[in-house]
Parts: sequence; C-alpha cells; structure tokens
Amino acid sequence: MNKEQNELSREKIFSAIKAAKPTIKMDVNTIQEEALELLKESKFARPKLLSEDATQALLLRIEAGLVIGTSCEKLTSLDDLPKSVNQFFSKHSLPQELKVQSIDKLEKLNWEGISTDSDIQQDNTVGLCWAEYGVAETGSFVVHSSPDMPILLNFLPLYLIAVIPKSKILHYMDDYALIANEIAKKAETPRNMCLISGVSGTTDIEGVLVQGAHGPEILHIIIVEDQ
Amino acid sequence: MQVNKPENFNQNVSKALAQSDLKKIIRRTTDKAESKRSEAVANFPEFENARTQGQKVKDHTIKYMDHYLAEFEKNALAQGTIVHWASTGEEASKIVLAICRQHKAKKVTRSKSMLGEEIGLTHAFDNSEMERIETDLAEHIIQLAGDPPSHIVWPAMHRSREDVVKLFREFHTDPTYSEEITDLVRSARRDLRNKFLTSDIGISGSNFLLADSGSSCTVTNEGNAELTITPPKVHIVTAGIEKLVPSMAHAIPLLRLLTRSATGAEITQYITFHNGPKRTNDADGPEETHIVLVDNGRTKMLAEGMEEMLRCIRCGACMNHCVVYKHIGGHAYGSVYPGPMGSVLTPHLNSLEVANKQTHACTMNGRCEDVCPVNIPLPKLLRSLRAQSWQKKYEPLTNRYVVKSFAMMAKRPKLFQLLSSCGVIFMKMFSRKGWISYMPFTSGWTRNRDLIEPESTTFMHQYKKMKKAETTKSGGA
Repeated sequence: MNKEQNELSREKIFSAIKAAKPTIKMDVNTIQEEALELLKESKFARPKLLSEDATQALLLRIEAGLVIGTSCEKLTSLDDLPKSVNQFFSKHSLPQELKVQSIDKLEKLNWEGISTDSDIQQDNTVGLCWAEYGVAETGSFVVHSSPDMPILLNFLPLYLIAVIPKSKILHYMDDYALIANEIAKKAETPRNMCLISGVSGTTDIEGVLVQGAHGPEILHIIIVEDQ
Repeated sequence: MQVNKPENFNQNVSKALAQSDLKKIIRRTTDKAESKRSEAVANFPEFENARTQGQKVKDHTIKYMDHYLAEFEKNALAQGTIVHWASTGEEASKIVLAICRQHKAKKVTRSKSMLGEEIGLTHAFDNSEMERIETDLAEHIIQLAGDPPSHIVWPAMHRSREDVVKLFREFHTDPTYSEEITDLVRSARRDLRNKFLTSDIGISGSNFLLADSGSSCTVTNEGNAELTITPPKVHIVTAGIEKLVPSMAHAIPLLRLLTRSATGAEITQYITFHNGPKRTNDADGPEETHIVLVDNGRTKMLAEGMEEMLRCIRCGACMNHCVVYKHIGGHAYGSVYPGPMGSVLTPHLNSLEVANKQTHACTMNGRCEDVCPVNIPLPKLLRSLRAQSWQKKYEPLTNRYVVKSFAMMAKRPKLFQLLSSCGVIFMKMFSRKGWISYMPFTSGWTRNRDLIEPESTTFMHQYKKMKKAETTKSGGA
C-alpha cells in the first residue's frame, strides 16, 4: 500500500474536519463527560422487559414467539443435557449426530447413543455451543471467539442448541456493554463478540420470511441452573 | 440491466412509471415495512426517548469527529488492525484491490455494504482478475442479474420470484426446480456454502465503528457477514467516517432504533463486534484485518452545514414511507442511495449539478422526517439543496422562467386570479368524467397517469363566496 498517499489522505480528512468546525474545543475530559452523560438517558430509552427476573423475561420472550425460530427450556442440572438433546433429535427427526463445542463441561457429559465430534464443515448437522451470556431484552445468547469456541459452530449447522448458564443472563444489552468494557480493561477482548437473537433469516424474495438462509434454521436455547 | 445515471433523472422516472408492475412490486415490500415499523414503535413506548438519545449520540460524535477518529485509529492499531485512509471512493477501491492483490486473492466474498457500492468496489472487482461473490441473498440475486441495488435494505426488491427462479436455474450448480421461496433460498444456501469456506478474502462494511476499542460492528439477519469474515485469512472493512460512535454502550441505543425502523423487528438476529485479527490459538478467524476509512464527500457535508445528514444509520425508513419512492422505485434515482436520504446524499457524493433534480422529487409531506430514527430534518435539507441549485443556476431555463413568471403573477393578485379562472375553464375543456387524460403542456403528468378535474371555480372565488355568506349571516343575526 502507498504509505505516502495514505498519510496524505489522513491529513486531508483531519484538515477538512478542522476547517469545517474551527470553534470546537478539543478538551478530552469534557468530551468524555459529555459522552458519559448521554448514557444516563438509556434507562428511559429502552423497552420494558416481560418480567423483572432476567431468566423469566428471556423465557417469556422466546415462548411468546418474539425470537425468530427459537424454542427454550430450563434444566436444573447440566447432566440432563444429553437427554434434552435426544428429545430435540426426536422432535425434529434428526440423526443422533452432534457437533459439540470442544470444552470439558460439555465433553465430559454422558453422550451415550449420540455420536459427537467437533468437525463443523457440513450442513444438516446439529451444533451445540456454550454461551458466555444471555440477554433478556433481545432473547439473545452471546458467544466469544476463543481457542475452544469456533465462531463457525454458530453459523454452519442447520440446527443449533445454545446452553446459557442461568447466572449469566443479563437484563439489557447495556449490561453486556459494561461487561465488554471490563473485559477490555483487562486486555482480554476476544476477536469476535456475537449477540445471536434467533435464526438466520431472510425476506429478500417477495418479502417472505424464510429461516435458515445461510446459518441455522432452528435454534433451541437451554438455560441451566449453575452447578 | 442498463445502469441509470443521476443526471438522467427525468428519463429514468418516465422509464420507471412505464413499468406497469413496478409500483406493485415496490409497495409489496415497503407497505409491509411501514406497517411493521408502526407496530414496533407502538410496542416500544420509550421510542421517542430512544430517538432523542440516538440523535444526541450521533451529534456528539460528529461534533468531536476528529477526536473520535484519532481514538478509533489508535485503538484499532493496538488491536492489530491495519488502518487505511481514503479521501475519495476511487482511492478506497484501489486500497481494497491492492490488499487483495498483495495476498494473490482469486476469490473474494463480500457481505452487503452500501458503502462498497458507493465507492465502486463491485465494478472495480468486475474489472479485475478476481472473482467477486456477493453473500447477502439480495446482493447475490442482483449480482446474477447484473442489476444495481434498488433499496438500501432490500436491494433486490424489484425482482420477482419468477425472476429469481430463472436466475438460479441459469447460474446455480445444483439449482432447484421448485418455485417455492423456501426452496429458492435453500438453492442459494447450497451454492454459497462452499464459496464461503474457500474464499481468500472477506470484505464487509460496518454499521458502527467503536472509537474506544477500534472495533467494527456488523448487523445482519442472514448471518452472512460472519460467514464472509471468519473463514478467509484476511478481513477488509470499508466504512464511512460517519459510522463512528464513542463506545459499544453508545451503539446500543442506535441498535434499538435501527432494526425497528428498518424492518419492524426489535433486533437483528446477528450483531457481531469484530476486534482485530485472530488471537493466538483461536479456533477460527482471519489472520489479518484491515479497515479502510472513507471520506468521499462526508467532510464536505460537514463544511456545508449538512452535518445532520451524517446522523444517518441507513435504516431505509425514509424511503419506505416516501410517496415518490413508492411510485418510481430505487433505480430511477440513478444512485446507490435512493429516496429522501439519497436525494440529500447523492449531491454530495457526486455533485449537485448532476443530482439536483432528485432534490425536487419530494412533496415535502414530511413523512421521512417523522419516521427517521435519528431525527434528520430531510425536508429542510432538501429545501436547502434546492436553494443552492437555484443560486448556482442548475435548473433548466424553462423551469426558471416558469418560477419567475409565477413569482411575477403572485405579486399581482388581480392578474393571478384572472389567469387562475382562465386556467380552470381551460382544464375543464379537456375533462372527461372528472379526469383529464390529455391537455397541452402537461404531458409530463398525463403520460403515465390522469389529472383530476379542478373544482368549478378558483380557491379565491370560493373563499370570497364563503366570506360573503358569513357576513350576510352575522348581519342577519
């Protein structure tokens, strides 16, 4: 790339902004204070949740059909997860094959009768992932890229099951932004932070909604009580 | 399909109005978007507060744009992203192509970004040795058809299911022979799946740039952005400098407004924050990330008092509610950005001399401003562009004479009333059953639709009659 040209364009853009707004003072503290002040308005500018309890609000939202292509259930123990997955296979008449995120807490479960692996290159498979957070406001689960979280696991399978620990369900997206900020302060920001609220969908042909455009067609969220 | 030019607006409009099905096709999508937006707003009583907050966030960022740009650059570099600057669209396209060539790319996937269209990236790739693969379903359809986009949210809304059937049968390797929309979508899924996984470079736009982290944020319903970005070794973001917000917390109020205003949904299915290249041992992701920050007329807007337009979050609500857009569709504007927001943007991205006619294609009913999620006063901005166009003498001579003649008559009420009365009589001579299908000097209107017959007398005549009746009544009492 032409470094000189790049520097020239940068200079040109900054000079044009300065020339357009010559009276604006650039005091960083003032700017930061003004920016923080804007966030105080958020509590009056966000939708009411369906329940004060975040888990209940998330469940109610999904049950009301407000999260496209998504169903939800609650488990008291993670040990019951394979049974739930089996029920999911039966409900959708799927072969008992599962692409599981490669983490201890999922791998050590008793998957007897279900073939599990983490090769996620094919379509028509069921993926299972462990979410970092849930967000009641939008019925979302949040995943962070990492050595044991391939982002593609959430996008390639046609069926996806996401497990959210109950204690990690937040009320609003703003709460997640605060957490992301804390992660950044520790210099641990992952490459990707994905808020997923339903399945892959499109209305691009005659405005008709079709699920499973590129990613999952069906999403099942399982909330587990903390161990 | 022949690409329309903005300077040929009148001819483009005539062509659009002559397409009998176009209006029906456009309204199928825009009317649904309109009613779904109304529903979403009704279910969110705090919408007005959110709108005010969204506007303030954008205004604050624009006010301190140089500060936030410098912050963004510093933090993006710290994350390992390579930052490029482009004053013009052409420069931006050249930068993207140079990165691709440096990596000897053969296949490039791209997720929908209107900025990409604005800077001519699609054409630049088509004239190169590389294969461009559009991954958003609508962009995939218009790429196969060779069309420009006709809407910023639904770029293929002008294409019917029958068109899509033909295109997919011609171009897909394993096409469906069904005409069901679900099967058509599956056909695209099959066709694109392998292309996602074997692409050399992934290109995306950005809905928001977060200054405090140097991150970019993509918003999609299909999930094609993540599939475009994750498998290739290199990710390139192209973004306008107005996409900045101070932080993720500041992007959230805008996310609440964006989807509700665009499609009537409360949130999009996929919101992803991209924070630089793959970390050591990450399971997947690009090894190299670039961001190209594009001006292309934005600082000019700042200098010319048009900074309110820089608030735009590209939701498309203004065009969904525009009576003109609903009649002529997106292609008539001859620009990437159609409708009210496009009529303000195009004169800055191109030139007012070329795109001044679009500023007149507005009834000033104010609906675009009413539904804008960040309160952009679009009618005011359009009026200001009209004034500039008049001052710079861009209007055709006939228009200037008509306006000057009107001004002359308006200053002489008796002459005005006399000519108005003659006009009513003249119009009635051509009326048949209440409608005028032909009349001299009005072919611009009657070519595509009838003109309604005027009242029997002029407004002033009726007004005087009413006043006289009132006086008689009160005198009698």
